Amino acid sequence: MKKLDSLILQYKKGECELITLFEEIVKSKKYLPFEKLNYLSKKLDIPLAKLYTTASFYSLIPTAKKGKYIIRVCNNLSCNLNGSETILEMLKKELKINLGETTKDGKFSLELTSCIGQCDSAPAMLINNKPYVKLDKTKVRKILRELK
Amino acid sequence: MQILRKSNWEGFEKTRKMKRIEIINVVKKSGLKGRSGSNFFTGLKWELMGKGTRYLICNADESEPGTFKDKFIMENNPSLLIEGIAIASYAMDIHSAIIYLRGEYFHLKPKLEKLIKQSEKHLKKIKLKIKIVLGAGSYLCGEETAILESIEGNRPLVRKKPPYPSQSGLYGKPTCINNVETLANIPLIILGNWDNNLQLFSLSGDLNEPGIYEIELGMPLKHIVSLGKPKNEPKAVYFGGSGGCIPYQKFKNLRVDNELISEKGGFLGARGLIIVGENRDIVDISRTLSEFFVHESCGYCTPCREGNFRVVELLEKIENNKAKKDDVKLLEQLAYHISDTSYCALGVASTTHLKCALKYFKKEFKV
Repeated sequence: MKKLDSLILQYKKGECELITLFEEIVKSKKYLPFEKLNYLSKKLDIPLAKLYTTASFYSLIPTAKKGKYIIRVCNNLSCNLNGSETILEMLKKELKINLGETTKDGKFSLELTSCIGQCDSAPAMLINNKPYVKLDKTKVRKILRELK
Repeated sequence: MQILRKSNWEGFEKTRKMKRIEIINVVKKSGLKGRSGSNFFTGLKWELMGKGTRYLICNADESEPGTFKDKFIMENNPSLLIEGIAIASYAMDIHSAIIYLRGEYFHLKPKLEKLIKQSEKHLKKIKLKIKIVLGAGSYLCGEETAILESIEGNRPLVRKKPPYPSQSGLYGKPTCINNVETLANIPLIILGNWDNNLQLFSLSGDLNEPGIYEIELGMPLKHIVSLGKPKNEPKAVYFGGSGGCIPYQKFKNLRVDNELISEKGGFLGARGLIIVGENRDIVDISRTLSEFFVHESCGYCTPCREGNFRVVELLEKIENNKAKKDDVKLLEQLAYHISDTSYCALGVASTTHLKCALKYFKKEFKV
């Protein structure tokens, strides 16, 4: 919270951007909760609707609750040609959730993402902000085991 | 590789002894064009900047499917980029530069920040501050005016031009927006012995050795594709998600440059080539790409928002053998309608892949 408040001060001085404030909240909460958006609205004197319409545009700023680890599987052409759908099916089976869902223990959310620029190491995915590349079933199982 | 050469701020020091207009003239004379795919002369862009407080934005939001050349530069020779930003800022009398880094490249941010800090003694000489603003996952934010909206804290929709950013950009001030590869080439141009035709190509898809290759523009397609060692006989080459495709067999001797690819209905753009092997289904690929545009459409204009949604629906029908006689015709009409009537470049280019697929692989769209 301290960091957020200091960023709010920086924002008021024109030294930091609104998107950076959103990202700071997402860093700790994994999503942008309504209360935080309300807090920002009051502190910055910006209408809540304007903040929401801006934040909700970005796929890396979720406005609904997510798991501790957000898995974003790239399903763009290069990843698709290199087997991203197999990886996706496997993740669904291992985590027992569908796309857009979060596991019951609140640990994992599963999503698709647009190209993440890892096409030379396809198939790839992001977990929170970290890219995982050259995926195969063994590798994905190992990654999940380490995070569980 | 030319782009991996080191300058160690020698290019920057050389420009410090030059007049601003002289630097701009050197860049103009070099023939450098924007390497994001825009192909606008960089020197001219610099010359057109309005008066007063100005900004430089380095567009590091490369999100075109199959394109990862800017990531390669930021990973392997980031100091060239920082020096390029410094020279560009000095030439245009700019004291505030922003690197708009795509959120998916979050992992590159600490290294870049450290490098900016290490470069402070040089940046101080021209009173330049460089900061990084992290994007948050939006293809549209690769478009220069959407970046401006994003930094200003608005919903990042594309602005209507004119006014151009060079006159009224960030916070209404003259703003120059250059791509990573464009800026990284600046110190090399200043140092001399630089070849404008050597450009970075991102190769991916059905290849054994995908990656970044520095290739002379105008090389035959088969030469470029062979570098990536295809897994099997290539069927088509896609130019990113929005640049369309051409059949490999028919055009393998085609020289790859902007004009020749455009003549065939494609768009070379940022030179991200996705090679598709002989066993692939073009309808399936078209659906994958159209799903990307459904996801990335900002929703502002109807042709792009609704049109691409309907395109996916029609492609699914064709894939599941549920299409009616006129559905392919409807798909074709829709593809042209979307590109003719969309508001911004994203919408306009969103069906180039489909138009090319229907032009060259129509037989695969069976009803």
